[in-house]
Amino acid sequence: MAVDPLVTGLVVVGYLLMIIGLGIYGYRKTKVAEDYMVAGRNSHPLVIALSYGATFISTAAIVGFGGVAASLGMGLIWLTVLNIGVGVLIAFVVFGKRVRRIGKKLGAFTFPDLMGKCYNSPFLQYVSGIIILLSMPIYSAAILIGGARFIEVTLGIQYTTALLGFAIIVGLYVVFGGLIAVMYTDAVQGAIMAVGMGLLLVLTYIKLGGVTVAHTALTGMSDLVPAALTAQGHMGWTAMPAFGSPIWLTLVTTMVLGVGIGVLAQPQLIVRFMTARDDRSMNRATLIGGPFILLMTGVAFTVGALTNVYFYQNSGEIALTAAGGNIDSIIPLYITSAMPDLFVIIFMLTLLSAAMSTLSSLFHTMGTALACDVWGRGRACALSLRANKRGILIMMIISIIVALLLPGSIIARATVIFMGLCASAFLPAFINGISSKSPCLIGAKASMLVGAIIWAIWTAFVHAAESGAIGLSQLIFGAPSVLGQPYSAINPLVVALPISLIVMVAFQIRHNRNLKIE
Amino acid sequence: MFGIPDPYIWVAYLLIIALAGACILYGLVNWNRGEGDLGS
Repeated sequence: MAVDPLVTGLVVVGYLLMIIGLGIYGYRKTKVAEDYMVAGRNSHPLVIALSYGATFISTAAIVGFGGVAASLGMGLIWLTVLNIGVGVLIAFVVFGKRVRRIGKKLGAFTFPDLMGKCYNSPFLQYVSGIIILLSMPIYSAAILIGGARFIEVTLGIQYTTALLGFAIIVGLYVVFGGLIAVMYTDAVQGAIMAVGMGLLLVLTYIKLGGVTVAHTALTGMSDLVPAALTAQGHMGWTAMPAFGSPIWLTLVTTMVLGVGIGVLAQPQLIVRFMTARDDRSMNRATLIGGPFILLMTGVAFTVGALTNVYFYQNSGEIALTAAGGNIDSIIPLYITSAMPDLFVIIFMLTLLSAAMSTLSSLFHTMGTALACDVWGRGRACALSLRANKRGILIMMIISIIVALLLPGSIIARATVIFMGLCASAFLPAFINGISSKSPCLIGAKASMLVGAIIWAIWTAFVHAAESGAIGLSQLIFGAPSVLGQPYSAINPLVVALPISLIVMVAFQIRHNRNLKIE
Repeated sequence: MFGIPDPYIWVAYLLIIALAGACILYGLVNWNRGEGDLGS
């Protein structure tokens, strides 16, 4: 970074003091389990919206997917369409209000608890908790790795020290302050992110000579797309890839549908709805949630694509080449090369906030799943503050261990894996649970099982991006994917979710018919 | 439109602005609805 290390250090210390202060505020406000688990079901709409948005948007969404936009172009903006349309509008208006009312009525404290109580099945609570404990540490480890790498580069702190320090600071305010601390810190971090991303968009257009000038310049660069990408369907940075091509399939099934729909079934986000006092809070939160997400992914994907214009005008190279072929380096390189020194500090805080807000929510969700839904299920200690604090501490340690074992290149892949598994296993059963008057338990079990198994098989044996890395397909069948193109480019979620949904609907229809007969 | 020739891209941009606007409109129209609706 070009900025003074002393100024950077002082800003970071000030930021951390503010976060710790909010953690202490959460600790003092937390008296009973309802405060610790669902923030007393009395959160302010602004806090709900910013906390939801900041948890939703991690460093991977800004740096990782911003880099993808620099490589694949503005087609990624369709993910923002789903982020706002599905991730905010449908999530808040349709599902959020139901979750809040049912959660309150049934006295649910966590996502697995909600699932178990909707279906009147302790088993479903247990299984939902187990799925969270198995899949979420990979995602939290990826967030930890991303955060630690970022701290290593910006503050010059050794990677392992950065990773441990990052996890412990976040873990401390989550353990002691519970969900109140998590949501208040999220809200402040969300506000910082909104300022950072808003400035990034404005400064980028100023730098490139205005909106139309910048876009026209990017359109004129279509002949600079690398031949390898053109062969796979890339048609330029301001155009969608060729329909049905490998890049189109990856963009649409993995990025747009995988992440865009996957958000509906993320336990750490669903819990936010249970913190609202009434439907009015949800209505008001919707007003803030939509524009917030527009400022996050909308800006990241637009600026990501436009970095090509900056690098071409200043070094004669496209963004991917300027960043040495590393997609994750494009946005940080652009910020340090093109933006003023003061903004470099603001953007550093933006990324730190994005990482901390997502990680704190994951620690809380995993810890409460362990203490309340798996280990303490059906026992008095399920709602004990001490047990849940220990649960969060244990899951923080597990996340650190997983982060130290996983390769650095796993960040974006782990995000997609986590969202895909959550959506395939949980989404149909979750929607049915909060929508049906008499939800079918066997259908929910079958849907979750089928969704998870098909997702796992497609991940391990067909979807080349994961099956190649896992190596099972290579070991057994002698090829990285048992099916060739186009199937090897189709995300597991696109296959598993519809089947899981069909299973759920079929069982529910049969269940309703039996009820009528009875 | 605005230097983007592919309608699949600029339509997406129009949609994200319209959806964000819809969120704002929904919040404003229902600003005071559902007060004290503590659950059914």
